[in-house]
Amino acid sequence: MKYLIIGNCAAGTSAAEAIRSKDKTGDITILSNESYPAYGRPLISYFLSGKVKPENMSYRDPSFYESRKISVLLNACAQKIDIKAKSVIADSGKKFDYDKLLIASGSVPFIPPIKNLANQKNVFSFLSYGDAQKIKEVINKDSKVIIAGGGLIGLKAAEGLFGKVRKITVVDLADRVMASVLDKPAADIIQNHIERNEIEFILNASITAVEGEQKVGRVVLSDSQELECDILIIAVGVRPNISLAKEAGIKTNKAIIVDKYMQTSQKDIYAAGDCVESVDLISNEHKILALWSNAVNQGETAGLNMAGVKHEAPTSFAMNAISFFGMQLISAGLICNTDYSYAFADSVANESKVRRLNIADDRLLGFVLINDFQRAGIYTDLINNNTKLSKLEYDIKSKDIGFNIYPRDIRKDKILGKKD
Amino acid sequence: MKKIYAFESKCLGCGLCEVYCRAAHSKSKDIIKAHKRENITSAIVIEEILQPKAVSYFALQCRHCSDPKCIKACISGAMYKDEDGIVRNKKEKCVGCLSCVLVCPFGAVRKSADGKTVAKCDLCIDYGLPACVDNCPNEAIKLLDDKEAEALK
Repeated sequence: MKYLIIGNCAAGTSAAEAIRSKDKTGDITILSNESYPAYGRPLISYFLSGKVKPENMSYRDPSFYESRKISVLLNACAQKIDIKAKSVIADSGKKFDYDKLLIASGSVPFIPPIKNLANQKNVFSFLSYGDAQKIKEVINKDSKVIIAGGGLIGLKAAEGLFGKVRKITVVDLADRVMASVLDKPAADIIQNHIERNEIEFILNASITAVEGEQKVGRVVLSDSQELECDILIIAVGVRPNISLAKEAGIKTNKAIIVDKYMQTSQKDIYAAGDCVESVDLISNEHKILALWSNAVNQGETAGLNMAGVKHEAPTSFAMNAISFFGMQLISAGLICNTDYSYAFADSVANESKVRRLNIADDRLLGFVLINDFQRAGIYTDLINNNTKLSKLEYDIKSKDIGFNIYPRDIRKDKILGKKD
Repeated sequence: MKKIYAFESKCLGCGLCEVYCRAAHSKSKDIIKAHKRENITSAIVIEEILQPKAVSYFALQCRHCSDPKCIKACISGAMYKDEDGIVRNKKEKCVGCLSCVLVCPFGAVRKSADGKTVAKCDLCIDYGLPACVDNCPNEAIKLLDDKEAEALK
C-alpha cells in the first residue's frame, strides 16, 4: 500500500503516525513545500523573540520518522493531483503514485488589495518558519514596523518583535483586536495590556496603498493617515489552501468538503486540518476551525481510515490559549455576540483578571478567562460533553471550578477511565 | 500500566502529598529547601468535597489518559507519551502556552510557578515510587495496576 501525504504540519504528521500504527509495512511519503522538518507552527513568534531556539522548533524528533519508516521530502511542492492515474506531480516534475492520498495543505496568507504592493522587498507574511527567519534577518533596532492585522497572528508577530525594533504599529479594520475571537470588553483588556508595552494600535482603518520603489517607505491608510515604514507585515488572515483539490475536481466550499471519516468527494482521497470544513459542535455549522488540536485529531482520523480502520473524527469548536506579554488569555466556544449570564472581574487583586462564562439553557457554551486559567480544561469538557449544569454539584458561577463539580459517581467513572 | 488512585474516605486533606510532590520534582529533593528556595508547582490538586455536615477530600493528578487531549493540543511537541504509557512534558521544549491546560478534562495540568512551563504528574519516573503515594500518612493515595484498578469499578 502506498500512502501519500501532502503537507507536513500537524495534520500530516499525525496522519502518518496513525497510518503506521495500523499498517506496519506500507510506504508512507510526506511531501512538504517547506525547507524544514515539521515544526510547531505557532512557535514562530517565539522563534522571532528568541525564546525558542532553532533546535527546539521541531515538532517531532528525527527518530520519530526513522523509527516509523516515514519518508519526508522537503522542498517538494505538489502541483497537480491526477485522480485517474492516482498520482501527484511535484514542481520538480517528479510523479508520486498513491493508493491513498491525504491533502493536509493548510492555509495560505490572505493578501488584501493594496495599491503598489507588488514586488516590494520589505513586505512579509507571518505564517511559516521561513517568514519568521526572513523577518529576523532584516529587522534592526531602528526599524519601524507596521503590522496589518490585529488578530492572533499579527499580535503574536508584534510580541515577537518587541524590544528588537524602534516602533511597532498594528493596523486593523475592526474596532478591536482579535475581532474573530473576542468581543469588545475582552479585546480592550488585551489591547490595553499590549499598549503598555509601547505597541501602537490604529483601529477602524486599513492600508490602502504603499509608497516606494521596490521598498515600502510609507503606507497610506483608509483614513488618509500616512505612516513611515521600514518593514510591513501582512497578517490580515489566512485562506484554506485548496487550489490543488479544486483543480482536481474535488468538492470544495470555503474549504475542502469531507465526510466524518475525513474522506473527500473523491474515493481514496482524504483531507484534514486547516484546509477542510469542520462541523462546529456548538453551532452545528460547517466552518473552518483552524486549530492545532483539530488538525491533529483530523489527521489521525484520516490516517486510521486510510489504513482501513473505520474511525469518526471527533467534533470540535473554537478554542485558544495564548499569552501576550505575560497576560494569559484562554477562550473556548461561543464568545462573540452573546449575553453573558455571568461575568467576574477580580478588581481587588488584579484589575485584569477576568472570568466570563456564557451559559444558556442549562449548558455552558463558551468562556473567556484572562489571567485566571487554572483548570480551564474542566470548563472545556463541560462544553464538549454538552453537560447539563443543573446535574452538577454546585453552580459553576459560584466559585473556582474543580473536579469536585461532578457528583461522586461521575467523578469515579471519569477517574477510573470509564467512557462517558 | 500503574496509575495513582485516591481514596476519598481516607483522605484527610493534609496536603502532605503536595509537599512531597514538590520535593520530588526539586533539585534538592528536600521538602524545606524545595519549598523555600525552589519555586516548584505541585502536580497534585487537592479537591474539597463539601457535604451537608462534613468536608471530605481527595488528591487528583494526571490520569495518563489512553488518548490524551493534552498531547494533541501541544503546539511544540513537548507533551508526549513514553513507552510505558506515562504522559510526560519535555521542559526544554515547553513554551508554557497552556494549550494543554485548556483541554485537560481533569484540570490536572497546571502552569508552573515560574510561568515558563507546566507542572504535571510523571508518576515520579526519576524518583522511584511516587512521592505522594510513599508519603501519604493514611494510605489515601495508592499506586495500582490495571487489574487492581478494575476491582474498584
